[in-house]
Amino acid sequence: MQDRPTAPELLDAMAADLYSEVREWVPRERRFRVLVLANLCAVIARELRAGEEPSRQDLALFASLNGSPADDAGEAARELAAKIRNGDLDDRLPEVIAGLREHVERKLEVARPGYATSAGAA
Amino acid sequence: MTPLGEEELAGGIRQLIGEAEGSDPGPVSLSVVPGGASRETFGVEAGERRWVVRRDPVGAPDSFAPLELEFRVVGAAEAAGVRVPRPLAYEPAGGRLESAGFLMAYVPGISVAPRVLRRDELASARSALPAQLGEALARIHSIDGGEIDGVPASDTDPALAACALWEATLDEIGEPLPAVEAGLRWLRLNPPPAPVRESLVHGDFRLGNLIVDEDGLTAVIDWELCHSGDPAEDIGWLCVRSWRFGNDDLPVAGVGSLGQLLDAYERAGGERPEPERIRWWEAMGNVKWAVICARQAHDHLTGVRPSAELASLGRRICEPEWDLLELMPAASSQGAEGDRWSEPEARTRPGAAGCEEGRG
Repeated sequence: MQDRPTAPELLDAMAADLYSEVREWVPRERRFRVLVLANLCAVIARELRAGEEPSRQDLALFASLNGSPADDAGEAARELAAKIRNGDLDDRLPEVIAGLREHVERKLEVARPGYATSAGAA
Repeated sequence: MTPLGEEELAGGIRQLIGEAEGSDPGPVSLSVVPGGASRETFGVEAGERRWVVRRDPVGAPDSFAPLELEFRVVGAAEAAGVRVPRPLAYEPAGGRLESAGFLMAYVPGISVAPRVLRRDELASARSALPAQLGEALARIHSIDGGEIDGVPASDTDPALAACALWEATLDEIGEPLPAVEAGLRWLRLNPPPAPVRESLVHGDFRLGNLIVDEDGLTAVIDWELCHSGDPAEDIGWLCVRSWRFGNDDLPVAGVGSLGQLLDAYERAGGERPEPERIRWWEAMGNVKWAVICARQAHDHLTGVRPSAELASLGRRICEPEWDLLELMPAASSQGAEGDRWSEPEARTRPGAAGCEEGRG
Protein backbone atom coordinates (compact mmCIF):
# COMPACT_ATOMS: atom_id res chain seq x y z
CA MET A 1 0.00 0.00 0.00
CA GLN A 2 1.27 3.44 -0.92
CA ASP A 3 0.92 6.43 1.33
CA ARG A 4 -1.50 9.19 0.49
CA PRO A 5 -2.07 10.99 -1.81
CA THR A 6 -3.81 8.19 -3.62
CA ALA A 7 -3.31 7.82 -7.36
CA PRO A 8 -6.46 9.82 -8.22
CA GLU A 9 -5.47 12.51 -5.71
CA LEU A 10 -2.06 12.81 -7.35
CA LEU A 11 -3.68 13.07 -10.77
CA ASP A 12 -6.02 15.79 -9.48
CA ALA A 13 -2.97 17.71 -8.29
CA MET A 14 -1.23 17.27 -11.64
CA ALA A 15 -4.31 18.39 -13.55
CA ALA A 16 -4.73 21.47 -11.35
CA ASP A 17 -1.08 22.43 -11.77
CA LEU A 18 -1.16 21.96 -15.54
CA TYR A 19 -4.42 23.87 -15.95
CA SER A 20 -3.41 26.80 -13.78
CA GLU A 21 0.32 27.47 -13.80
CA VAL A 22 2.06 25.34 -16.40
CA ARG A 23 -0.38 26.49 -19.05
CA GLU A 24 0.75 30.08 -18.52
CA TRP A 25 4.42 29.20 -19.04
CA VAL A 26 3.80 27.68 -22.46
CA PRO A 27 3.62 29.81 -25.62
CA ARG A 28 0.04 30.49 -26.55
CA GLU A 29 0.07 28.45 -29.76
CA ARG A 30 1.28 25.38 -27.83
CA ARG A 31 -1.10 25.56 -24.88
CA PHE A 32 -3.46 23.09 -26.44
CA ARG A 33 -0.94 20.34 -25.61
CA VAL A 34 -0.95 21.28 -21.95
CA LEU A 35 -4.75 21.20 -21.90
CA VAL A 36 -4.70 17.75 -23.49
CA LEU A 37 -2.36 16.48 -20.76
CA ALA A 38 -4.34 18.15 -17.98
CA ASN A 39 -7.57 16.73 -19.33
CA LEU A 40 -6.03 13.25 -19.52
CA CYS A 41 -5.03 13.47 -15.85
CA ALA A 42 -8.62 14.36 -14.97
CA VAL A 43 -9.95 11.50 -17.11
CA ILE A 44 -7.63 8.94 -15.51
CA ALA A 45 -8.51 10.19 -12.02
CA ARG A 46 -12.22 9.65 -12.77
CA GLU A 47 -11.48 6.27 -14.31
CA LEU A 48 -9.62 5.12 -11.19
CA ARG A 49 -12.39 6.38 -8.91
CA ALA A 50 -15.07 4.61 -10.96
CA GLY A 51 -13.26 1.32 -10.36
CA GLU A 52 -14.32 -1.95 -11.98
CA GLU A 53 -18.07 -1.37 -11.82
CA PRO A 54 -18.52 0.21 -15.31
CA SER A 55 -16.63 -2.69 -16.92
CA ARG A 56 -18.73 -5.20 -14.97
CA GLN A 57 -21.90 -3.51 -16.22
CA ASP A 58 -20.57 -3.53 -19.79
CA LEU A 59 -19.69 -7.22 -19.52
CA ALA A 60 -23.22 -8.01 -18.34
CA LEU A 61 -24.74 -5.89 -21.12
CA PHE A 62 -22.62 -7.38 -23.88
CA ALA A 63 -23.20 -10.94 -22.65
CA SER A 64 -26.94 -10.32 -22.55
CA LEU A 65 -27.02 -8.84 -26.08
CA ASN A 66 -24.82 -11.68 -27.34
CA GLY A 67 -27.01 -14.24 -25.61
CA SER A 68 -23.90 -16.01 -24.32
CA PRO A 69 -22.05 -15.74 -21.01
CA ALA A 70 -18.58 -14.18 -21.02
CA ASP A 71 -15.95 -13.31 -18.47
CA ASP A 72 -14.00 -10.65 -20.32
CA ALA A 73 -15.63 -7.37 -21.40
CA GLY A 74 -13.17 -6.88 -24.26
CA GLU A 75 -13.85 -10.32 -25.71
CA ALA A 76 -17.60 -9.88 -25.28
CA ALA A 77 -17.38 -6.51 -27.06
CA ARG A 78 -15.51 -8.17 -29.92
CA GLU A 79 -18.19 -10.85 -30.23
CA LEU A 80 -20.97 -8.27 -30.12
CA ALA A 81 -19.28 -6.05 -32.73
CA ALA A 82 -18.95 -9.04 -35.07
CA LYS A 83 -22.56 -10.10 -34.56
CA ILE A 84 -23.85 -6.60 -35.32
CA ARG A 85 -21.67 -6.39 -38.42
CA ASN A 86 -22.88 -9.77 -39.68
CA GLY A 87 -26.51 -8.76 -39.30
CA ASP A 88 -27.15 -11.42 -36.64
CA LEU A 89 -28.90 -8.83 -34.46
CA ASP A 90 -30.80 -6.94 -37.17
CA ASP A 91 -34.20 -7.93 -35.81
CA ARG A 92 -33.20 -6.59 -32.36
CA LEU A 93 -31.31 -3.48 -33.52
CA PRO A 94 -33.42 -0.98 -31.49
CA GLU A 95 -32.76 -2.99 -28.34
CA VAL A 96 -29.05 -3.24 -29.17
CA ILE A 97 -28.84 0.52 -29.77
CA ALA A 98 -30.67 1.27 -26.52
CA GLY A 99 -28.29 -0.99 -24.59
CA LEU A 100 -25.22 0.47 -26.22
CA ARG A 101 -26.40 3.97 -25.33
CA GLU A 102 -25.93 2.95 -21.68
CA HIS A 103 -22.48 1.59 -22.48
CA VAL A 104 -21.47 4.86 -24.17
CA GLU A 105 -22.94 6.87 -21.31
CA ARG A 106 -20.73 4.95 -18.88
CA LYS A 107 -17.68 5.79 -20.97
CA LEU A 108 -18.70 9.45 -21.10
CA GLU A 109 -19.09 9.64 -17.32
CA VAL A 110 -15.35 9.00 -17.15
CA ALA A 111 -14.15 10.69 -20.33
CA ARG A 112 -16.41 13.74 -20.50
CA PRO A 113 -19.02 14.17 -17.80
CA GLY A 114 -22.01 16.24 -18.89
CA TYR A 115 -21.73 15.36 -22.58
CA ALA A 116 -24.63 12.94 -22.47
CA THR A 117 -27.86 14.37 -21.19
CA SER A 118 -31.32 12.97 -20.79
CA ALA A 119 -32.34 14.68 -24.06
CA GLY A 120 -33.86 11.85 -26.06
CA ALA A 121 -33.17 10.82 -29.61
CA ALA A 122 -34.13 13.48 -32.09
CA MET B 1 13.20 19.14 -37.52
CA THR B 2 14.01 16.90 -40.46
CA PRO B 3 16.80 14.59 -41.65
CA LEU B 4 17.19 17.02 -44.54
CA GLY B 5 18.22 19.71 -42.05
CA GLU B 6 16.37 22.94 -41.56
CA GLU B 7 18.88 24.96 -43.53
CA GLU B 8 18.70 22.65 -46.55
CA LEU B 9 14.92 22.61 -46.42
CA ALA B 10 14.82 26.41 -46.23
CA GLY B 11 17.22 26.57 -49.20
CA GLY B 12 15.00 24.23 -51.21
CA ILE B 13 11.90 26.26 -50.40
CA ARG B 14 13.69 29.45 -51.41
CA GLN B 15 14.43 27.85 -54.79
CA LEU B 16 10.82 26.72 -55.17
CA ILE B 17 9.55 30.22 -54.45
CA GLY B 18 12.07 31.65 -56.90
CA GLU B 19 10.81 29.33 -59.64
CA ALA B 20 7.13 29.90 -58.87
CA GLU B 21 7.37 33.69 -58.56
CA GLY B 22 10.10 34.27 -61.11
CA SER B 23 12.41 36.03 -58.65
CA ASP B 24 14.58 34.99 -55.73
CA PRO B 25 12.85 35.93 -52.46
CA GLY B 26 16.15 35.99 -50.58
CA PRO B 27 16.84 33.90 -47.49
CA VAL B 28 13.68 32.40 -45.96
CA SER B 29 12.94 31.39 -42.39
CA LEU B 30 10.64 28.50 -41.47
CA SER B 31 8.26 27.97 -38.59
CA VAL B 32 6.26 24.85 -37.87
CA VAL B 33 2.52 25.50 -37.84
CA PRO B 34 1.12 23.21 -35.15
CA GLY B 35 -2.17 21.55 -35.88
CA GLY B 36 -1.91 19.13 -38.76
CA ALA B 37 -2.34 15.60 -37.49
CA SER B 38 -1.44 13.87 -40.73
CA ARG B 39 0.35 16.52 -42.78
CA GLU B 40 3.11 18.97 -41.85
CA THR B 41 2.65 22.67 -42.43
CA PHE B 42 5.41 25.30 -42.37
CA GLY B 43 5.09 29.05 -42.39
CA VAL B 44 7.72 30.58 -44.67
CA GLU B 45 8.93 34.19 -44.34
CA ALA B 46 11.26 36.37 -46.34
CA GLY B 47 11.14 39.92 -45.05
CA GLU B 48 7.55 41.08 -45.31
CA ARG B 49 6.52 38.27 -47.64
CA ARG B 50 4.98 35.02 -46.50
CA TRP B 51 4.09 31.63 -47.93
CA VAL B 52 2.99 28.24 -46.64
CA VAL B 53 4.45 24.81 -47.37
CA ARG B 54 2.48 21.67 -46.78
CA ARG B 55 4.09 18.26 -47.01
CA ASP B 56 3.72 14.63 -45.93
CA PRO B 57 5.46 13.86 -42.65
CA VAL B 58 8.82 12.34 -43.51
CA GLY B 59 8.66 8.56 -43.18
CA ALA B 60 4.94 8.46 -42.40
CA PRO B 61 2.59 5.99 -44.08
CA ASP B 62 0.61 7.08 -47.12
CA SER B 63 -2.12 9.59 -46.44
CA PHE B 64 -5.66 9.51 -47.78
CA ALA B 65 -5.05 11.46 -50.96
CA PRO B 66 -1.59 12.15 -52.35
CA LEU B 67 -0.42 15.73 -51.99
CA GLU B 68 -0.09 16.03 -55.75
CA LEU B 69 -3.83 15.40 -56.04
CA GLU B 70 -4.50 17.93 -53.30
CA PHE B 71 -2.47 20.46 -55.29
CA ARG B 72 -4.60 19.84 -58.39
CA VAL B 73 -7.89 19.91 -56.49
CA VAL B 74 -7.07 23.23 -54.83
CA GLY B 75 -6.37 24.61 -58.30
CA ALA B 76 -9.74 23.38 -59.55
CA ALA B 77 -11.46 24.85 -56.51
CA GLU B 78 -9.85 28.22 -57.14
CA ALA B 79 -11.06 28.10 -60.74
CA ALA B 80 -14.60 27.38 -59.49
CA GLY B 81 -14.56 30.51 -57.33
CA VAL B 82 -13.79 28.90 -53.97
CA ARG B 83 -11.53 30.99 -51.77
CA VAL B 84 -8.33 28.97 -51.31
CA PRO B 85 -4.66 29.72 -50.72
CA ARG B 86 -3.34 29.94 -54.28
CA PRO B 87 -1.33 26.77 -55.04
CA LEU B 88 2.11 27.78 -56.42
CA ALA B 89 4.33 24.72 -56.92
CA TYR B 90 4.27 20.98 -56.30
CA GLU B 91 7.41 19.03 -55.38
CA PRO B 92 7.39 15.22 -55.45
CA ALA B 93 8.84 12.99 -52.72
CA GLY B 94 12.63 12.88 -52.79
CA GLY B 95 12.78 16.48 -53.99
CA ARG B 96 13.54 19.71 -52.22
CA LEU B 97 10.86 19.19 -49.57
CA GLU B 98 12.14 15.64 -48.84
CA SER B 99 8.61 14.18 -48.74
CA ALA B 100 5.93 15.18 -51.25
CA GLY B 101 4.62 18.68 -50.69
CA PHE B 102 3.53 21.94 -52.19
CA LEU B 103 4.03 25.65 -51.88
CA MET B 104 1.04 27.96 -51.59
CA ALA B 105 0.22 31.58 -50.95
CA TYR B 106 -0.19 32.70 -47.34
CA VAL B 107 -3.70 33.66 -46.23
CA PRO B 108 -3.94 35.54 -42.93
CA GLY B 109 -6.59 34.55 -40.42
CA ILE B 110 -7.50 31.94 -37.85
CA SER B 111 -8.27 28.26 -38.37
CA VAL B 112 -8.68 27.23 -34.75
CA ALA B 113 -12.40 26.64 -34.28
CA PRO B 114 -12.73 27.51 -30.56
CA ARG B 115 -11.01 30.85 -31.21
CA VAL B 116 -13.28 31.57 -34.15
CA LEU B 117 -16.25 30.78 -31.93
CA ARG B 118 -15.16 32.83 -28.89
CA ARG B 119 -13.10 35.85 -29.91
CA ASP B 120 -14.90 39.19 -29.60
CA GLU B 121 -13.28 40.66 -32.70
CA LEU B 122 -14.74 37.81 -34.80
CA ALA B 123 -18.38 38.46 -33.86
CA SER B 124 -19.32 39.84 -37.28
CA ALA B 125 -17.38 37.03 -38.95
CA ARG B 126 -19.56 34.56 -37.06
CA SER B 127 -22.75 36.15 -38.33
CA ALA B 128 -21.43 36.14 -41.90
CA LEU B 129 -20.11 32.57 -41.78
CA PRO B 130 -23.28 30.46 -42.18
CA ALA B 131 -24.08 32.05 -45.55
CA GLN B 132 -20.42 32.14 -46.60
CA LEU B 133 -20.05 28.44 -45.81
CA GLY B 134 -23.18 27.64 -47.83
CA GLU B 135 -21.84 29.58 -50.79
CA ALA B 136 -18.38 27.96 -50.58
CA LEU B 137 -19.94 24.50 -50.42
CA ALA B 138 -22.15 25.21 -53.44
CA ARG B 139 -19.07 26.22 -55.43
CA ILE B 140 -17.10 23.15 -54.33
CA HIS B 141 -20.07 20.98 -55.26
CA SER B 142 -20.31 22.61 -58.69
CA ILE B 143 -17.07 20.76 -59.51
CA ASP B 144 -17.36 17.34 -61.11
CA GLY B 145 -14.83 15.28 -59.14
CA GLY B 146 -14.65 12.80 -61.97
CA GLU B 147 -13.07 15.47 -64.18
CA ILE B 148 -10.04 15.85 -61.94
CA ASP B 149 -7.51 13.11 -62.57
CA GLY B 150 -6.98 10.97 -59.47
CA VAL B 151 -9.92 12.08 -57.33
CA PRO B 152 -11.07 8.97 -55.46
CA ALA B 153 -14.49 7.82 -56.58
CA SER B 154 -16.51 4.81 -55.57
CA ASP B 155 -18.02 2.44 -58.08
CA THR B 156 -21.01 1.92 -55.80
CA ASP B 157 -23.51 4.22 -54.15
CA PRO B 158 -21.62 6.81 -52.06
CA ALA B 159 -23.61 6.01 -48.90
CA LEU B 160 -22.84 2.30 -49.08
CA ALA B 161 -19.26 3.08 -50.08
CA ALA B 162 -18.91 5.14 -46.89
CA CYS B 163 -20.27 2.22 -44.84
CA ALA B 164 -17.74 -0.11 -46.46
CA LEU B 165 -14.86 2.34 -46.00
CA TRP B 166 -15.37 2.78 -42.27
CA GLU B 167 -16.08 -0.91 -41.70
CA ALA B 168 -12.79 -1.73 -43.41
CA THR B 169 -10.96 0.92 -41.38
CA LEU B 170 -12.43 -0.49 -38.16
CA ASP B 171 -11.15 -3.92 -39.19
CA GLU B 172 -7.67 -2.52 -39.82
CA ILE B 173 -7.61 -0.98 -36.35
CA GLY B 174 -8.86 -4.19 -34.78
CA GLU B 175 -10.39 -2.65 -31.63
CA PRO B 176 -14.06 -3.59 -31.16
CA LEU B 177 -16.43 -0.59 -31.06
CA PRO B 178 -19.92 -2.10 -30.78
CA ALA B 179 -21.69 1.28 -30.57
CA VAL B 180 -20.10 2.40 -33.84
CA GLU B 181 -20.98 -0.96 -35.36
CA ALA B 182 -24.62 -0.60 -34.32
CA GLY B 183 -24.84 2.88 -35.85
CA LEU B 184 -23.10 1.71 -39.01
CA ARG B 185 -25.43 -1.24 -39.27
CA TRP B 186 -28.47 1.01 -39.05
CA LEU B 187 -26.97 3.36 -41.65
CA ARG B 188 -26.24 0.43 -43.96
CA LEU B 189 -29.83 -0.80 -43.66
CA ASN B 190 -31.33 2.67 -44.20
CA PRO B 191 -29.27 4.50 -46.84
CA PRO B 192 -30.66 7.54 -48.66
CA PRO B 193 -31.46 7.05 -52.35
CA ALA B 194 -28.47 7.57 -54.66
CA PRO B 195 -27.81 11.31 -55.10
CA VAL B 196 -29.12 12.94 -58.26
CA ARG B 197 -25.59 14.05 -59.06
CA GLU B 198 -22.23 13.19 -57.57
CA SER B 199 -19.74 16.02 -57.13
CA LEU B 200 -16.39 16.85 -55.64
CA VAL B 201 -16.68 16.54 -51.85
CA HIS B 202 -14.15 18.36 -49.65
CA GLY B 203 -14.35 15.57 -47.07
CA ASP B 204 -13.34 17.60 -44.00
CA PHE B 205 -15.25 20.86 -44.25
CA ARG B 206 -15.35 22.40 -40.74
CA LEU B 207 -13.95 25.50 -39.02
CA GLY B 208 -10.64 23.78 -38.26
CA ASN B 209 -10.02 23.57 -41.99
CA LEU B 210 -11.17 27.07 -42.88
CA ILE B 211 -9.31 30.34 -42.48
CA VAL B 212 -11.41 33.12 -41.00
CA ASP B 213 -10.70 36.82 -40.47
CA GLU B 214 -12.84 39.70 -39.16
CA ASP B 215 -15.01 39.58 -42.29
CA GLY B 216 -15.48 35.82 -42.26
CA LEU B 217 -14.26 33.06 -44.57
CA THR B 218 -11.01 33.78 -46.41
CA ALA B 219 -9.86 30.31 -47.45
CA VAL B 220 -10.83 26.63 -47.52
CA ILE B 221 -7.78 24.50 -46.69
CA ASP B 222 -6.78 20.88 -45.94
CA TRP B 223 -8.23 19.08 -48.94
CA GLU B 224 -6.60 15.75 -48.14
CA LEU B 225 -9.89 13.87 -47.70
CA CYS B 226 -11.46 15.11 -50.95
CA HIS B 227 -13.25 12.61 -53.13
CA SER B 228 -16.16 12.26 -55.50
CA GLY B 229 -19.47 11.60 -53.77
CA ASP B 230 -22.77 12.87 -52.38
CA PRO B 231 -22.63 16.65 -51.82
CA ALA B 232 -24.77 16.18 -48.69
CA GLU B 233 -21.78 14.46 -47.08
CA ASP B 234 -20.00 17.82 -46.57
CA ILE B 235 -23.18 19.37 -45.13
CA GLY B 236 -23.80 16.53 -42.70
CA TRP B 237 -20.16 16.56 -41.58
CA LEU B 238 -20.34 20.31 -40.94
CA CYS B 239 -23.28 19.65 -38.60
CA VAL B 240 -21.47 17.03 -36.47
CA ARG B 241 -21.74 18.12 -32.84
CA SER B 242 -17.99 17.83 -32.20
CA TRP B 243 -17.44 20.75 -34.60
CA ARG B 244 -19.74 23.02 -32.59
CA PHE B 245 -17.22 23.15 -29.74
CA GLY B 246 -19.89 23.65 -27.11
CA ASN B 247 -22.24 25.89 -29.17
CA ASP B 248 -24.62 22.96 -29.34
CA ASP B 249 -27.65 25.08 -30.24
CA LEU B 250 -26.02 26.15 -33.54
CA PRO B 251 -25.84 23.01 -35.70
CA VAL B 252 -23.70 24.49 -38.47
CA ALA B 253 -20.18 24.51 -37.00
CA GLY B 254 -21.41 26.30 -33.87
CA VAL B 255 -22.17 29.47 -35.86
CA GLY B 256 -25.58 29.08 -37.45
CA SER B 257 -28.67 27.16 -38.39
CA LEU B 258 -29.01 24.65 -41.18
CA GLY B 259 -31.62 26.88 -42.81
CA GLN B 260 -29.13 29.78 -43.06
CA LEU B 261 -26.55 27.49 -44.63
CA LEU B 262 -28.94 25.87 -47.11
CA ASP B 263 -30.56 29.14 -48.21
CA ALA B 264 -27.13 30.47 -49.18
CA TYR B 265 -26.24 27.11 -50.73
CA GLU B 266 -29.29 27.29 -52.97
CA ARG B 267 -28.72 30.95 -53.85
CA ALA B 268 -25.19 30.01 -55.01
CA GLY B 269 -26.57 27.30 -57.29
CA GLY B 270 -26.47 24.28 -54.99
CA GLU B 271 -29.31 21.81 -54.98
CA ARG B 272 -30.91 21.70 -51.53
CA PRO B 273 -30.64 18.13 -50.22
CA GLU B 274 -33.52 16.49 -48.37
CA PRO B 275 -33.27 16.77 -44.56
CA GLU B 276 -33.12 12.95 -44.17
CA ARG B 277 -30.12 12.81 -46.46
CA ILE B 278 -28.25 15.45 -44.43
CA ARG B 279 -29.21 13.64 -41.27
CA TRP B 280 -27.85 10.35 -42.62
CA TRP B 281 -24.54 12.00 -43.45
CA GLU B 282 -24.41 13.73 -40.07
CA ALA B 283 -24.74 10.29 -38.44
CA MET B 284 -22.14 8.90 -40.84
CA GLY B 285 -19.94 11.88 -39.90
CA ASN B 286 -20.07 10.72 -36.30
CA VAL B 287 -19.05 7.22 -37.42
CA LYS B 288 -16.16 8.75 -39.30
CA TRP B 289 -14.98 10.92 -36.40
CA ALA B 290 -15.23 8.00 -33.96
CA VAL B 291 -13.19 5.78 -36.29
CA ILE B 292 -10.61 8.53 -36.91
CA CYS B 293 -10.22 8.97 -33.13
CA ALA B 294 -9.71 5.22 -32.79
CA ARG B 295 -7.24 5.17 -35.63
CA GLN B 296 -5.19 8.05 -34.27
CA ALA B 297 -5.04 6.42 -30.83
CA HIS B 298 -4.01 3.23 -32.63
CA ASP B 299 -1.22 5.10 -34.47
CA HIS B 300 0.13 6.04 -31.05
CA LEU B 301 -0.19 2.51 -29.69
CA THR B 302 1.58 0.92 -32.64
CA GLY B 303 4.38 3.47 -32.48
CA VAL B 304 3.62 4.92 -35.91
CA ARG B 305 3.23 8.35 -34.34
CA PRO B 306 3.86 8.25 -30.58
CA SER B 307 1.97 11.18 -29.06
CA ALA B 308 -0.05 11.77 -25.91
CA GLU B 309 -2.36 13.97 -27.97
CA LEU B 310 -3.18 11.12 -30.35
CA ALA B 311 -3.42 8.69 -27.43
CA SER B 312 -5.96 10.96 -25.73
CA LEU B 313 -8.30 10.62 -28.71
CA GLY B 314 -8.99 7.05 -27.58
CA ARG B 315 -10.97 8.54 -24.71
CA ARG B 316 -12.93 10.80 -27.08
CA ILE B 317 -14.38 8.01 -29.24
CA CYS B 318 -17.40 7.93 -26.93
CA GLU B 319 -18.42 11.52 -27.83
CA PRO B 320 -19.27 10.86 -31.50
CA GLU B 321 -20.56 7.43 -30.46
CA TRP B 322 -23.11 9.15 -28.25
CA ASP B 323 -24.10 11.62 -30.95
CA LEU B 324 -24.34 8.80 -33.49
CA LEU B 325 -26.76 6.83 -31.34
CA GLU B 326 -28.70 10.02 -30.52
CA LEU B 327 -29.23 10.45 -34.27
CA MET B 328 -30.72 6.97 -34.57
CA PRO B 329 -34.50 7.08 -34.59
CA ALA B 330 -36.13 6.30 -31.27
CA ALA B 331 -36.81 2.59 -30.87
CA SER B 332 -40.55 3.22 -30.87
CA SER B 333 -40.54 4.70 -34.37
CA GLN B 334 -38.37 1.98 -35.92
CA GLY B 335 -39.66 0.94 -39.25
CA ALA B 336 -42.33 3.62 -39.36
CA GLU B 337 -41.70 4.98 -42.82
CA GLY B 338 -41.57 8.76 -43.04
CA ASP B 339 -41.03 9.06 -39.33
CA ARG B 340 -37.42 8.04 -39.41
CA TRP B 341 -35.72 11.39 -39.49
CA SER B 342 -36.31 14.96 -38.59
CA GLU B 343 -34.44 18.16 -39.35
CA PRO B 344 -31.01 18.37 -37.65
CA GLU B 345 -31.84 20.11 -34.45
CA ALA B 346 -30.26 22.55 -32.17
CA ARG B 347 -29.44 20.77 -28.96
CA THR B 348 -29.47 22.65 -25.76
CA ARG B 349 -26.92 20.99 -23.62
CA PRO B 350 -24.34 22.33 -21.26
CA GLY B 351 -20.90 22.51 -22.84
CA ALA B 352 -18.41 20.32 -21.02
CA ALA B 353 -15.31 21.90 -19.62
CA GLY B 354 -11.84 20.84 -20.53
CA CYS B 355 -12.04 19.85 -24.14
CA GLU B 356 -13.56 22.97 -25.62
CA GLU B 357 -10.35 24.87 -25.96
CA GLY B 358 -9.25 22.03 -28.20
CA ARG B 359 -7.88 22.60 -31.61
CA GLY B 360 -10.45 22.92 -34.30
